Amino acid sequence: MLSIAEIWQWLFDVTNWEGRYGLVNLFFEHMTLSFSAILIAALIAVPIGVAIGHLGKGEAVVVAISSISRAIPTMGLLFALVMFMGIEFRGFAVTLALVIIAIPPILAGSYAGIKAIPQTISQAAKAQGMTAQQLIWHVELPLSAASIIGGVRIAYIQVVSTVVLAPLIGLGGLGFGIIQGLALRDFAQVTSSALIIVFITILGDRLIGFAQKLTAVKLAAVEIDR
Amino acid sequence: MEWALKNLELIFDLTMTHLWVSLVPLVIGSVIAIFLARIVPKRFAGSVNGTLGALYAIPSLALFVALPALIGTNYVGPINVVIALSLYVVASMFFSARDAFSQVPAPAIFIARAQGMSPWQRIIHVELPLAIPGLIAGLRVAAASTVSMASIGAVVGVRNLGYLFLDGFQRKIADEIVTGLFAIFVIAIVLDAGLWFLSKVLTPWSKKSVQHA
Amino acid sequence: MKKMTKSSIALSAVAILGLAGCAEAGSETIVIGSQAYYSNEIVAEAYALVLEDAGFQVERQFSLGQRDVYVPAIVAGEVDLFPEYSGNLLQYFNPEASETSAEDVYNALVAALPAGLTALTLSGASDQDSYNVTKEFATENNLVSIGDLAALANVTLGGPPELTGRPYGPQGLLTTYGVTVAFEATGETTVESLVAGLIDMANVYSADPRIQQLGLVTLKDPQGLFLASNLVPIASGAVNADARALINAISLAMSAEDLVAMNVRSVEEQLSAAVIARDWLVSKGLLN
Repeated sequence: MLSIAEIWQWLFDVTNWEGRYGLVNLFFEHMTLSFSAILIAALIAVPIGVAIGHLGKGEAVVVAISSISRAIPTMGLLFALVMFMGIEFRGFAVTLALVIIAIPPILAGSYAGIKAIPQTISQAAKAQGMTAQQLIWHVELPLSAASIIGGVRIAYIQVVSTVVLAPLIGLGGLGFGIIQGLALRDFAQVTSSALIIVFITILGDRLIGFAQKLTAVKLAAVEIDR
Repeated sequence: MEWALKNLELIFDLTMTHLWVSLVPLVIGSVIAIFLARIVPKRFAGSVNGTLGALYAIPSLALFVALPALIGTNYVGPINVVIALSLYVVASMFFSARDAFSQVPAPAIFIARAQGMSPWQRIIHVELPLAIPGLIAGLRVAAASTVSMASIGAVVGVRNLGYLFLDGFQRKIADEIVTGLFAIFVIAIVLDAGLWFLSKVLTPWSKKSVQHA
Repeated sequence: MKKMTKSSIALSAVAILGLAGCAEAGSETIVIGSQAYYSNEIVAEAYALVLEDAGFQVERQFSLGQRDVYVPAIVAGEVDLFPEYSGNLLQYFNPEASETSAEDVYNALVAALPAGLTALTLSGASDQDSYNVTKEFATENNLVSIGDLAALANVTLGGPPELTGRPYGPQGLLTTYGVTVAFEATGETTVESLVAGLIDMANVYSADPRIQQLGLVTLKDPQGLFLASNLVPIASGAVNADARALINAISLAMSAEDLVAMNVRSVEEQLSAAVIARDWLVSKGLLN
């Protein structure tokens, strides 16, 4: 079995950190792909989720998208899009796949956040003379921020996990160490890369969770949590 | 769908492997999750939740290749993947199982105690049946994730439907990839419907209670 | 289910004995593995079909991944039979190997194999790594052999991620031909990337039908960067003499053209390995 010493050695070998396929570059590739996709997905999903929650129409769509999306195999989606769009557009294809994966949880989080706001608060705001826009921006969004961020948190996990597979289509990302390591039977590389991926994912999850807690508001009637 | 028709036997074999590589973790994982959810005392629930939450965040491929170093399983083969998937199911279901048990109406538990049931009898005859709707709801979520996540096992040599993605991409056969997507989707839907039906069958009282309300 | 009738007890006993009988036969099962490469799978499937037809118990464990992952499995006895490529396998055991001809490579391989593994008859069918460029690129830059690349400034090489660790990879290019390349891990998108101009040179298997289909130019290798690599079955002790004879017949009957033709069928007709292997075996009279 692999010893901790071997893993340590691999991690502290500078050559593994530099260059086109060094950990530093792979990390940036991984994060760039992930965050751009999450951002695009949020720009699409938050408005739609808020609108559906606000208007109270189209809820079935949110539920349907949420349940269906869980069953989508990420690797299949990735390969299918890259194949259909062609190699020249693989960056675009990957981003599209990641956006498709990121939208459902953010949509669900946005919708749930709005939905959880008690009617009394919205009514009180309207009674104060707030327009719909003011209601959304000054009341509903701040109150549902934690839930939206919760959705982003789930999206982060899904997206970062999928980018691990990017080397299979000729892109970089931290999964490269796993794919190359498996092929070269360099299990120190495989395990070290896996551990780094685990660390990045959990760290990101915790950071976003912290942001979630910061924006959480305890409403009298309903607790928005997790 | 021409490709699919020409390769039915292959698709069948892959589907069978995919089914057992998905179902075994679901069974093992949910049993462990239900057990843990019921047993773990409140003060530890937070840290267990935290640990499982961290576990759930781990990308599947990373876990598939990290486990062998940690617990000595083979890098290649289904056992490793089944263990990893079971861990995901436990992580996914622990929270919903705990929720399900907390939804069991307190009066029902009081009545059971009053009737002189032992704790185990209470759990099996009262709490579990009443928690079933919540448990199965959680199980449906876990099932969909597990069925789709299992396909990544193909990268480490598990010959399930994920193979269709890898081979289809290698040979540039779009139909093959689409067939894989479709097959996994169908399995997920059938499993979901089956679990929904199971929930109805196991809780014949739910209809009556609605009428009374 | 509290009462068990006499008949159900009897049935259970028969079932248990039957299972016990199956378990004994199980120890004679030949486990056949393959790489995660459709061409390799076709050959492995041919082995499986022929053995099953002769009455052997066969278990297929295909798509095991890279050599570096499955060779330990073979050595440990988890896999019994595997279609391999002589040159690549020799380099796996002996990275310094300098033999280049098919025969020399085979003899060196036999010597290099660990105890418990035997190389069966070498096949005429070759499938080795090769460096390829597009026809336009070759004409523009007057490229005939790998060494001609030394005259170019920026050459990007594409191939599987593990190419950087292979003796014939970028390091080998430098030491053998004085060619410096930048490497792009293109994985399964290598050929497309070459055609799209994202890379200049691609590592493609010589039996890949796309070399002919796309008019790619395989650069000549006079210095022997690549070892000759032919199909060779690797077997453990669990494969007895009768089984070996059947497998050897396959090796002898398969030519390089046969292999390419089967690969073409896989990519163009999109048939499964089982169908292609069966058809070929029948055409060669090795299967009914």
